[in-house]
Amino acid sequence: MLAAVHLTRRFGQRLAVEDATFEIARGEIFALLGPNGAGKTTTLRMLAGLIEPSAGEVTLDGHRVEPGNAGRLRARVGFLTEAPGLWDRLTVRENLLTYARLHGLASPAVIVEQSLKMFGIADRGDERAALLSKGLKQRVALARTLLHNPDIVLLDEPTSGLDPESARDVRELIVTLRDQNRAVLLSTHNLDEVERIATTVAVLRQRMLAVDSPESLRVRLFGRRLRITLTGKAGSFIPALRESGHPDVAADDHTLSIATQDATRDTPDVVRVLVERGAQIMSVVPEEHSLEDIYLRLVREGTPQ
Amino acid sequence: MTRIAALVSKEFADLRHNPGVLLPALLTAAISIVLPFFVAVIVPAWTGERLSDSSDFQVALEIYRSQPEARTLSPEAAVQAWLFQQFLPLLVLAPVAASMSVAAYTVIGEKQARTLEPLLATPITTFELLSAKVLGALVPAIALTVASFIIYGAGIALFASSGAVRVLFAPRSLGMVFLLGPLAALAALQLAVCVSSRVNDARSAQQIGALIILPLAGLLVAQLTGTVAVTGRLIGIFTIVLATVNIILMRIGVALFDRESILTRWQ
Repeated sequence: MLAAVHLTRRFGQRLAVEDATFEIARGEIFALLGPNGAGKTTTLRMLAGLIEPSAGEVTLDGHRVEPGNAGRLRARVGFLTEAPGLWDRLTVRENLLTYARLHGLASPAVIVEQSLKMFGIADRGDERAALLSKGLKQRVALARTLLHNPDIVLLDEPTSGLDPESARDVRELIVTLRDQNRAVLLSTHNLDEVERIATTVAVLRQRMLAVDSPESLRVRLFGRRLRITLTGKAGSFIPALRESGHPDVAADDHTLSIATQDATRDTPDVVRVLVERGAQIMSVVPEEHSLEDIYLRLVREGTPQ
Repeated sequence: MTRIAALVSKEFADLRHNPGVLLPALLTAAISIVLPFFVAVIVPAWTGERLSDSSDFQVALEIYRSQPEARTLSPEAAVQAWLFQQFLPLLVLAPVAASMSVAAYTVIGEKQARTLEPLLATPITTFELLSAKVLGALVPAIALTVASFIIYGAGIALFASSGAVRVLFAPRSLGMVFLLGPLAALAALQLAVCVSSRVNDARSAQQIGALIILPLAGLLVAQLTGTVAVTGRLIGIFTIVLATVNIILMRIGVALFDRESILTRWQ
């Protein structure tokens, strides 16, 4: 649907984004991760048609986005900027009404009222934006982002600085957007959030270091491993496991970590070998690496995977 | 047009919620209305001297009474009418000068409030954005000018010598208020918005915006000192020149408005 093809952006001598290629599909939550200054916001701005790439291109349904047709892209994209960006002196309703008109919606007042209800802020419609809490401002900004019913939604740190309840509301909304078959790009530092809702994860540090589903990234970076906890010391079982065809084995006190291509196939064999050697097994589980492990490894190594 | 109207409507809502912004314009307009009455009516009444008896006004009186609208006036009414007409540019330009700081702040203000990026993420074009910003300052300025003109006329009818008010309905007076004034205002405000979209802090915008008033003030001084006599022909020429300048300024404004550098380089 919306694709970045070898996207590069320079600001003078400084390279903000280099050769980033990825695609966001309908019904997908695409999480863009990266340290501060990695080029996430620049990438979002290029995808929203706000700034042009120095090289490469953004395509929408296969058509290249150019200055002449960027307006058409912007009509299909809802872009939640890092700051809510509400006009403080205007009321919530006036803020939304202005955007509904800017998008040329047929019945702006009706759509604004629907939006106020949908986001649970109907009773705050006549309050000035300046008087709202940060969470409410973000909710109004989200309502503004979705007023024109965009099929692509770009969210720049949507839960940053929100209290847990407000952050959960935003997360639920993002999942709803996915369920409505929209393409959602989420730029965030909140790895827990990404772990919970993202279907695809991309790690950017000027260059795109990896783009894949969280599970595929785990396998690519750490492989599939079994974690077996024993009642006694684990180290003495390593030779037996190696002899039985499991060369990649590591031990740590009572725990064994064994690489496997197919856990379903290998688990019975591993357990049999250990039991035959007198091991007393407490648990056998697939080894799970958190998204934080994946992220930190990618960012530290800094090489595309 | 819909998008321009949407943004202009937002600018008005902003003014409605923050009427204090208009206070300098209202004060300037009030002073520009009172000042001519002070010179033409209050001071002579206070001192008991008739303006038409003063040697300072004899030359002006002679020239002015050759004008069609002044031929039938009494000498005192003619001097007053001449003075009221001389102050007319002040009436036209004062609200514009006061609106200048609003216009100069308009783009940089959006940037500083971090409201510009969501705005630019809509399908609004640069032309629409700049037009709305200029109109947001121009319409109140013109409304204030018209209101000032009505109060000015009513004041002349009530307090000046009989017939002096006719001078306001002379073609050159009407041309100055309803043609030259709005066009000069449009040019000045366009320039202020251009400045606002190029500087990167609000203080610079307002300081440079204040400089734009200088040529307008110069025109006023030239008119008051008699260096420039605003005739119907001159108004016609200025109208054409200002209309052309406005078209050029809008093109320059659109060209200067660099969305990318506004989003990425301004702090």
